[in-house]
Amino acid sequence: MPQEVKPDRTLDALGLFCPEPVFRVRMELDEMKIGEVLEVLADDPAAEEDIKSLCKRLEQEILNLSKEGNILRFVIKKVK
Amino acid sequence: MKRIKEGKISEMSAKKKILYVQTSGVDTPERLYAPFILSATAAAMGLDATVYFVIKGITVVKKGAAENVKIGQFPTLRQVMDQAIKAGVKFAVCEQSCMLMDIPRGEFIPEAKVVGAATLNDLTLDADAVLCF
Repeated sequence: MPQEVKPDRTLDALGLFCPEPVFRVRMELDEMKIGEVLEVLADDPAAEEDIKSLCKRLEQEILNLSKEGNILRFVIKKVK
Repeated sequence: MKRIKEGKISEMSAKKKILYVQTSGVDTPERLYAPFILSATAAAMGLDATVYFVIKGITVVKKGAAENVKIGQFPTLRQVMDQAIKAGVKFAVCEQSCMLMDIPRGEFIPEAKVVGAATLNDLTLDADAVLCF
């Protein structure tokens, strides 16, 4: 599995609360080309399920989700 | 929030539709934020989102009203309303409610379109989900 893919860009959503991380991820995806990879850092506990839902609806691929302490790290590939 | 670019992500061919019905007015400010926050999020998720304002709900989209609603650390209602507008959420206002509440058509924010009862029925039937506040 491509867990160590190097991200093309990073979104620092630390300190932001619902629904802001979702908006920011959407805006990043809008600016990306298909095939590019976005790393998202978030510490809002709601972001875990919210960003999963967002990616499911937008049909984008979550390559990896990891947690270190209370910091979530998503790696999302724009596939369409 | 910057404007979410329309159509840049090729979304599912037929967008799912979600309708929020706001019946609460400026006398219950705690009930007013959710439809804007939810609908803006829905738009970001690639859904087609509409907020329909009916009965006292129409007082929310009266020009200048949202600017005067603020609860605690929350931004003003106008700020969350603007976020929804920028995300592409549509606003509809019930015409009969305008008469009920004695608010003339011209007194609403320009994004709020005054529509009739059939439109609400139609929006409800067409929506994949409806949430009322």
